Amino acid sequence: MEIVRLLASLQASPMPLSGCLGSGVWSIEADADRDIVVEAGSEARLVVVDGEGSAEINIDVESGAKLRILNIVHHHSATTMAIAVAEGAECRMTQVVCSSSDSRVVASLVGREARFELGGVFVLTDGDQTSVTADVNHMTSDCVSRIKVKGVASGKSHGRFSGLVYVAPDAQRTDSEQTNRNVTIGEGRIETLPQLEIYADDVKCSHGATVGQMDSDAILYMRQRGLSLADAKRLQIEGFVDDVVLHSAVEGDVVAEVLTQLLADKLNEL
Amino acid sequence: MLKVENLHASVGDKEILKGINLTVKAGEVHAIMGPNGSGKSTLASVLAGNEKFTVTAGSVEFEGENLLQYNIEERSRKGLFLGFQYPVEIPGVTMANFMKIAVNEQRKARGLEPLTAAEYLRMMKEKSAIVELDSKLTSRAVNEGFSGGEKKKNEIFQMAMLDPKLAILDETDSGLDIDALRIVATGVTRLKREDNATVVITHYQRLLDYIVPDYVHVLYKGRIIYTGDKTLALKLEKEGYDWLINDYKEE
Repeated sequence: MEIVRLLASLQASPMPLSGCLGSGVWSIEADADRDIVVEAGSEARLVVVDGEGSAEINIDVESGAKLRILNIVHHHSATTMAIAVAEGAECRMTQVVCSSSDSRVVASLVGREARFELGGVFVLTDGDQTSVTADVNHMTSDCVSRIKVKGVASGKSHGRFSGLVYVAPDAQRTDSEQTNRNVTIGEGRIETLPQLEIYADDVKCSHGATVGQMDSDAILYMRQRGLSLADAKRLQIEGFVDDVVLHSAVEGDVVAEVLTQLLADKLNEL
Repeated sequence: MLKVENLHASVGDKEILKGINLTVKAGEVHAIMGPNGSGKSTLASVLAGNEKFTVTAGSVEFEGENLLQYNIEERSRKGLFLGFQYPVEIPGVTMANFMKIAVNEQRKARGLEPLTAAEYLRMMKEKSAIVELDSKLTSRAVNEGFSGGEKKKNEIFQMAMLDPKLAILDETDSGLDIDALRIVATGVTRLKREDNATVVITHYQRLLDYIVPDYVHVLYKGRIIYTGDKTLALKLEKEGYDWLINDYKEE
């Protein structure tokens, strides 16, 4: 219901199975394969909500177009999104994952001065088995990519982040950053596989990954002020993932509210 | 208000508190002094309910109840406040948000309704003035990027917000310059009433220039070996602990 409310607030138009997008706000349920083209020079916002099952979505962002994607993964699904970004175009994406699922994002920067940004968060509880992949292919020169994924795993759940940044021989002056920060609680486990494959010599690529425990001193501090253990944990995790939600690529008061609610419901299961 | 009898506590196999006796009445200010490693901070942590320590013997009564049966947050809601020696930074959690939950938990425990947004904002403004805490800090993450002085002021600000019956301040003066020390101490003094009490744990006499204690206790090797009035602190400042410790060794 919350997601229906989100789409209504954005006045998003449901997309047909495949086709061209001009400027506007669109939504799709990722329950079948689709091919989408974002027309040159347009500014489109797209909400992609996963369906049950698997789907492959191919998106071409034509030159100079600006695409913003909000991807919500809350079913048992396997979704691949392959995004090609042309010259001077940009794609900014926010991904919120809170289910046992397999999400793959493969962004290819195929034209000069293309840009791709992904801010993602996954929150896993009780027995969730989840894989999040974020690959970026720098195929040509002067492109920028920013990948920032945060993960939380509790209660025997298992999360896996995999991210490959590939820089082709011609992709000089590539500027790429990739970070994956994770927090595990109790028996939750997270594996992280950040990878770089660079064939050009004039590049700026950084990557970093961490897996840490919840800060027990912070929990103690909050409990001393009267917060329950559950509240203290929830507040700390909210603090950890909040920046992704608050800087959603698709903006709106209701967007932040719904995403926060979605995560809060999940966090209450911690 | 607080009655500690023969309190023993350990961390792992190591016994740190070896029979503490301490009685604090409403309206009183107690200072606990002592050399490093004597167990001052452990006493504060044990009273607050830090689960790292195990109470192996003795009893603690707070407002007529067995305090030791309660966990850390329950003790807080019963009116016990611990000012931390090293306040913890909590990235992403704003002071305002954190304190709102904390204040409303305290109110719930006292049978009061949660504050409205306007009441809460007014309260924050009023209480932050007590410690001259820059009100901008309340919109920032808890203690993150705060200076040493700001962190300690922030402890007293939280104390003012939560209005505890008993406040235990663990080396609140450490790392403070003289201005911050004065502000923190003045804040504590302004919060003092006939129906609450404060236990100040400190290394230095200088804090006690501002917070005048009714009793000064010396803690050494897990026991309170000497209790005097405020003049004891001055004597300790001048002569150190050796005369007391030597006496104690001969016993």
